[in-house]
Amino acid sequence: MNHIPIRHKWEPYVWLLPSLLLMSLFVVFPIVIVFKLSLSDISKSGIVGGLNHFANFRAVFRDPAFPVVMKNTLVWVVSVVGLSTLLGFITAMVLNAPFRGRKIARSIVVFPWATSLVIQASIWNYIIKFEYGNLNNVLMNLGLLRSAVNWRATYQIEFAWECGIGIFVTIPFVAFTVLAGLQSIDDAYYEAATVDGAGFWKKLRHVTIPLVKPSLTVSTVLNIIYVFNSFPIIYTITKGAPANKTDTLVTFLYMRAFYDNQKGAATAMSVIGFAILCVAAGAYMMIAMRKEEAL
Amino acid sequence: MKTSAKIRATNLRALAACALAFILCLILLSLPVYGFSATVFTKKSGNTFVGDEKYLAARAEVEAAAQARAGETGSMPEIVENVTERTNSKGEKTSMVAFEVRETMRRTGWDFIRSGLTSGRVLLIVLICAAASLVCALVGAMGDLSTDWAALTGAPRVLRRLAGALALAALLLVPLFLMGNNLAFSRQIRLATDGYPKPALEALLPKLDRFLYGGAAGENTLSLMSGVSYRPCWTAWALLPVLAALAFGCVVVSEGRPGRTLQRAALYAFIIALCVVILYPYYVMFITAFRSNAETTDMYFQNLLPVKWVWSNMRDIIARGVPRFLLNSLMLSVGATAIALVCGIPAAYAMARMSFKGKKAFLGFVIMSQMFSPVVLLVGISQLMNTLRLNDTVWGLMLINAAFNQAFAIWLLRGTFVSISPEMEQAAHIDGCNTVSAMIRVLLPMAAPGIVTTLIFVFINAWNEYTISTVLISTNANKPITVGITQFSSFNMIEWQYLFAAALVATVPVVILFMAIEKHLAAGLTAGGVKG
Repeated sequence: MNHIPIRHKWEPYVWLLPSLLLMSLFVVFPIVIVFKLSLSDISKSGIVGGLNHFANFRAVFRDPAFPVVMKNTLVWVVSVVGLSTLLGFITAMVLNAPFRGRKIARSIVVFPWATSLVIQASIWNYIIKFEYGNLNNVLMNLGLLRSAVNWRATYQIEFAWECGIGIFVTIPFVAFTVLAGLQSIDDAYYEAATVDGAGFWKKLRHVTIPLVKPSLTVSTVLNIIYVFNSFPIIYTITKGAPANKTDTLVTFLYMRAFYDNQKGAATAMSVIGFAILCVAAGAYMMIAMRKEEAL
Repeated sequence: MKTSAKIRATNLRALAACALAFILCLILLSLPVYGFSATVFTKKSGNTFVGDEKYLAARAEVEAAAQARAGETGSMPEIVENVTERTNSKGEKTSMVAFEVRETMRRTGWDFIRSGLTSGRVLLIVLICAAASLVCALVGAMGDLSTDWAALTGAPRVLRRLAGALALAALLLVPLFLMGNNLAFSRQIRLATDGYPKPALEALLPKLDRFLYGGAAGENTLSLMSGVSYRPCWTAWALLPVLAALAFGCVVVSEGRPGRTLQRAALYAFIIALCVVILYPYYVMFITAFRSNAETTDMYFQNLLPVKWVWSNMRDIIARGVPRFLLNSLMLSVGATAIALVCGIPAAYAMARMSFKGKKAFLGFVIMSQMFSPVVLLVGISQLMNTLRLNDTVWGLMLINAAFNQAFAIWLLRGTFVSISPEMEQAAHIDGCNTVSAMIRVLLPMAAPGIVTTLIFVFINAWNEYTISTVLISTNANKPITVGITQFSSFNMIEWQYLFAAALVATVPVVILFMAIEKHLAAGLTAGGVKG
């Protein structure tokens, strides 16, 4: 019996009430406002008019920058989530192996997770500067480079850097979620596999991956959401320049809302982003769960 | 179990490989390892096609120059010919031929060792290590080669181990040799020609003079060196596999289990690389925080550490309002954490211990709220804050952060509560305790580690939050540190040293906090998902 007796039927709801109130006021209310604004006419001075039959959405889809931004968002989410999951998985496997200094290594891996993204992004922004950046400096001081290299020659390269930094700061989260999964695997499975003559790859394929799958699913779903909504890296390093070519949806809508003062278009994009996220995260969860059932 | 004859054969083969590798290493050092080339004469001839009169005249001139040079030095320099063809604005085809007389000097490993250059010394150490490792392997193998490595004791075991370590050291020093050459031939020279005199250079130039020009260049060494291009020959790279073979042979002799040793080596290499990459930005932040403003934006002057540690940067950021930002951040994070826990603990408790209608709906609601990040809702949030008159206040930030961390707090806490058996509380109920006091007296003390983890997690999230604060806060006195540091990076000038000094102060406490909960964090994250 996992439950404690309840005296009144309404008792559980009283326990939920503070949390419910807090979230209703500061999460649900803004959601309602955003949905309402996305359907309304908003003047430049911020006066909200009546409904305008999806004019905001039509404006967004007509915007020539929008397809570029959507493509960037796709590249950003897929590359950051994909690669950080792969690298985080490898990191977790390594951190789970016994070696000297494992405690120190684990503490170090947690660093990027604990640091504010603005600060991480500012540091990397300095590192990859051409004229005086620290990467050139260190490589030249170590004698690995003969002359300075422009690490951000084009906006495509800059965007690739942004993705790289995104991966860098996401790895610890994946690594630690997977590590928790790895630690919960009973050694008996591996012993049985060894007795059956399974090598490293066979154990990975048939023991490790199926058993850490729940952790991996949790981390991937949360990652899709966090990475899609990630703002400070791109905002600090390129601010979407040149001409929205390195913007993702959230930085783009931020610019539209607070620089160009187009709140209608911005809220419409919020709604679009939410719809995409729901579909993507929902689809991923469905696929992951169906595969689990099939196993 | 391998037979002793087999072990003996393997070890003999490995020893032979070691000896062969060492001989190869000696041969490689006797061949040229570096080539230095300098242009001694150039001639450009415009509007010239290969084979025409002008071309032949220019060619003759260049060859004469090369001959003259050969008379001086005793070896014929190389003539490089470059033809550029293009169509001009009138549509005619034109062509330009550029000749270059390039002189190449080659230096062997022994030349390097004799030169007295730092890289030469490194090479000498490489050689000594390789020789010593071979000697150790041979001496360690004398007597008994047929015993399994695990059964070895005493001197043979130590010597064989030492052989592997020395060979590995030799292998790792080769990149250092190449890097040292780049430093000496390129960066130091470049620094000096750009007008940054370095004390190290004064000792370096006479050595370079002796090494490359036989002591003939004297005062001109610097100007001559700046025109010299250099590159390692294949022999320098070939040292790597040869020494790797030596190391591998030694490992086979000493451990008998090459596969496992290689695996461990790869594991440690990966871990070291990972830690270096992760710590690199923190290193940058740290050293830049103590550099002078001029040094932060001067690539050539920078060393790996600040030339002069400017501790006064810390004093300057205090004067620029950083303590106020830190105080705001502290208030905001403490407040947000308190609110999130006060609301989250009862909810998590109900989710973990009570069965009621709408439990699943509430869980769905919590997960849904995770989908919306504050960035996407910023327009709505700022409007709501305007209505509540909480705009531009720390209170507003506190509430928003608490609300957006609610889902995570409930998730973590529920996981903790579920993992604790409810029997104690049930007993307390029977003793006449009510639910609230049962929770506070019985459950919460047992769940303390999980609660502390949640507390720190929410605290750090609130501390590091940037996006909401940057929109909601416009008064300087109300800014948290993450927004406050951006005042050091205005559009046209970034005061890197202040930016990173403030960032350092903001980062150190949270990193330490996070390291404290690292052990529990991962477990807490998945506990909520797997159980219940």
